[in-house]
Amino acid sequence: MEMSDEDVALAVLREAESKEGILLAEVRLEERDKRHMAVKEGHISSAISSHDRGMNVRVVMRSGTGFASCNSISKVDGSALLRKAHRQAKGGRRRTPVSLSPEPAVKTTWEVHQKRPLADVSTEEKLRYIQGLDRAVMKTKVKVQGRFYELKDYEIESFFANSEGSRISSFLPRVVLEAMNLVSSKGESAQSIRDWGASGGWEKVTDWALDDVLPQEMKMLKVQLDKGKSVRPGTYDLVCGPEVAGIAAHESCGHPMEADRILGREMSQAGKSFVSPDMIGDRVGSEYATVIDDPTLPGSYGYYAYDEEGVKARPRFLYKEGLINEFLHNRETASKLGVQSNGSSRSEFYLREPIVRMANTFVAPGDFEDDEIFGDVKEGVLMHSFTEWNIDDKRYNQKYVSREAYFIEDGEIAGPAKNCVLEITTPGFWGAIDAVSKKLDFVSAECGKGDPMQAMSVFTGGPMIRLRKVALR
Amino acid sequence: MTSLKETASDLVHLARDEGAKDVVVEAFDRSIQLVRFSNSEVDSTLSWSEKHAHVFAAVGKRTLVTDIRDLGAAAEGVKALVRAVKNAPENKEYGGIASGRFKYKPGRPDPAIVSLKDPAKHVRDAIGSAHRAGADNVGGTLYVRHEVTGIASSGGALASDESASMELSVRAFSQPEASGHSVSVTPRLVALRAKETGARAGELSVMAKNPVQGEQGKFDIIVEPLFLGSIMHFSTRMMSAVIVDIGMSMYARRIGKKVASAGVTIADDPLMRSSSRRAFDHEGAPTRRNIVVKDGVLRTYLHNTSTAKKYRTKTTGNTGPFVPTLFTVPSQPVAFHPVVEPGDWDPEEMISETEHGLYFNNTWYTRFQNYATGEFSTIPRDTILRIEGGEVVGAVKNIRISDNMMSFWKSVDALSKDSQEVFWWDEASPPATLPTVRARQMNVTRSA
Repeated sequence: MEMSDEDVALAVLREAESKEGILLAEVRLEERDKRHMAVKEGHISSAISSHDRGMNVRVVMRSGTGFASCNSISKVDGSALLRKAHRQAKGGRRRTPVSLSPEPAVKTTWEVHQKRPLADVSTEEKLRYIQGLDRAVMKTKVKVQGRFYELKDYEIESFFANSEGSRISSFLPRVVLEAMNLVSSKGESAQSIRDWGASGGWEKVTDWALDDVLPQEMKMLKVQLDKGKSVRPGTYDLVCGPEVAGIAAHESCGHPMEADRILGREMSQAGKSFVSPDMIGDRVGSEYATVIDDPTLPGSYGYYAYDEEGVKARPRFLYKEGLINEFLHNRETASKLGVQSNGSSRSEFYLREPIVRMANTFVAPGDFEDDEIFGDVKEGVLMHSFTEWNIDDKRYNQKYVSREAYFIEDGEIAGPAKNCVLEITTPGFWGAIDAVSKKLDFVSAECGKGDPMQAMSVFTGGPMIRLRKVALR
Repeated sequence: MTSLKETASDLVHLARDEGAKDVVVEAFDRSIQLVRFSNSEVDSTLSWSEKHAHVFAAVGKRTLVTDIRDLGAAAEGVKALVRAVKNAPENKEYGGIASGRFKYKPGRPDPAIVSLKDPAKHVRDAIGSAHRAGADNVGGTLYVRHEVTGIASSGGALASDESASMELSVRAFSQPEASGHSVSVTPRLVALRAKETGARAGELSVMAKNPVQGEQGKFDIIVEPLFLGSIMHFSTRMMSAVIVDIGMSMYARRIGKKVASAGVTIADDPLMRSSSRRAFDHEGAPTRRNIVVKDGVLRTYLHNTSTAKKYRTKTTGNTGPFVPTLFTVPSQPVAFHPVVEPGDWDPEEMISETEHGLYFNNTWYTRFQNYATGEFSTIPRDTILRIEGGEVVGAVKNIRISDNMMSFWKSVDALSKDSQEVFWWDEASPPATLPTVRARQMNVTRSA
């Protein structure tokens, strides 16, 4: 990004100083190179590229918040956005005046290093890579329909400045591969819709080893179809693999701990929360239930060093040893609840307002070995991964249906369990945990929230966790 | 000032001069205002504007797409695209673009929406009405949209379109677990029913008071248009030929077969007056009303030119955006304005003729165990009413419908005579015109 763009941002902030009643003015400039390609049944289906640049201006006043954005960067545009955002903030007529947590001004630069820059890998090489995955899947001889693979990668160069003196430049490359497959066998089918994402260069893609992982997935689904037996409805011990632990951490811990939900700002669309502001310290799970949201995990899909309000990112212990411990905050929610922001403000891109979001949410590891987790399970199920899932808008009633599951008999993994269903409340899930393994694993995902909907890159994850006596069917 | 249509046409000619064979350029100029409200007051006002162009170029079966975000540098962008496409790998499924001498029916935006200065007034009207109806906490969104589009192609497309619309979504709470949701979606300012929408959400929230834990089992379910909008979101997606191709559709190999009860007719009607009216698809083919399901039988998938060629039929004028949106995959044909044809029932009649059932205002988080078979679940939210012996006997909470989407459609036995345009978040989307319907014997589950 050229210096002249930064001058634009600073000129807009100088102009904001002349406006009365502004608590905070922010300007974000963003430039993004993006590539997106798709391969369907081995054939190239689409190749798209774009270069995007734009800016936004956010104005916070006691009377309200205004946010204006456009896909160009110039002093004229910046001034127009400022006027619009100021008018919007002024016209908010808030009965409960807006306030912001005091945060230090930051002047810094951060970036994610790429060993092999995404931009240096040609379209042809990327397409060959995806077609190679398809061939690897075909070699399994498993009947797989669809075989639809999308690879998206982009670099975001950003400059953030606010009226309090923060000046933050950043560079963030990200890559994600999405795979949709439908395995058929003996008149039945099973779907696999999975993502692999990271912050970094092309080396992340090779680390995923998908030419091995995807064929294994297809073979596994065929075994589930051919040999899987339904779970007889009843009460069992359940071992959740990292993918299932991760989705539960995201859905029934991360989301209900977003302070904007708790305070009602998302009440009409994404919903509210079963958690209320006075529940810090309340028990929601067993002593083994610790869930962390950490944007600073190197290479993670949800990585960032400073949030969209210029607050330094840090790990947040949401549930700690079964107790509600810390909400996810931006500056406004933090101020309302009398704490500091913990750097949870994110936006999908420059046209969208920053709101409270998760980053990388996972169950904290424990001290059990994986095989110890099964050790004293007499009759149970290992739900290794899931396909269907959902949760209500207060984040209390959730459902997970297995993609890969196995019966456990007398401490040993027995045959595959097909379409095992866990439908459970949030305290029911977190309260039933009595063992957590040492080894962490992560899955990437796109989290949806906001008006309009903003897809946000995140990790979910955890170790293996054991739940005692839960209802399965 | 050069119109977007002229800009698109100039870029098509440039791409052709540079050596591209097939070219589509669609240029957009859109501006959107959003008033968000929560806790019964405006929490923020947002606005954004974008001018950009999607450019598709093909040389033989080599195809590439770019999104030119700086129209001032569009010529350089097009030249670079054409240089790149000559060396791009072949897209074997590419079947060309729509071509012909096209006639279009462009829309006329309501100038009252285009020039609207104070959208927050309508929000305050809605909040006030919801409170008067018995709510004590109200949230929602009001979108004001204005979009001008110009399209040109080497296949003969050359057109402009313009639209303006407003979408008011109001969710009202009378108790922490008693809420109602109502929307008003319209291309005409005079048809925006802000007070009525707020009042309806408030009334529903009062009906939802003191909910008790719902029970598992089989119930006849009556679902309002907002709920049906979420079902349509997934059903119409699965009617897209590309989604069928990739194995993620319960409609695969079902053309000519029964996929719904005989009373169900589903169309995509981009030309009816609605908030998603459009004159052309993203290839530049004129849009038209397509009947996808007629009297319960699947007649066609939604096609672009390439998928139509593969399926040995003609495009239905449903080419999706060349640059996919959050919920589309590349090259996916899309529905623009789904319609379920109304029936001859009143919702009150449906209730009085239901022995053991549930009435649903809204739903969210619809997810599939298997798109190919239709196994799914969805979580009803807002007002849920228990019906016994033809009467509402109370409000219910904490339940889930866990069933099969094809079974849902096949068990529809009553459709209301009145329809409503609905559009809510990304759940009930795209905008659709839908009745209230009743489906028999759906499976309801709950947390243990």
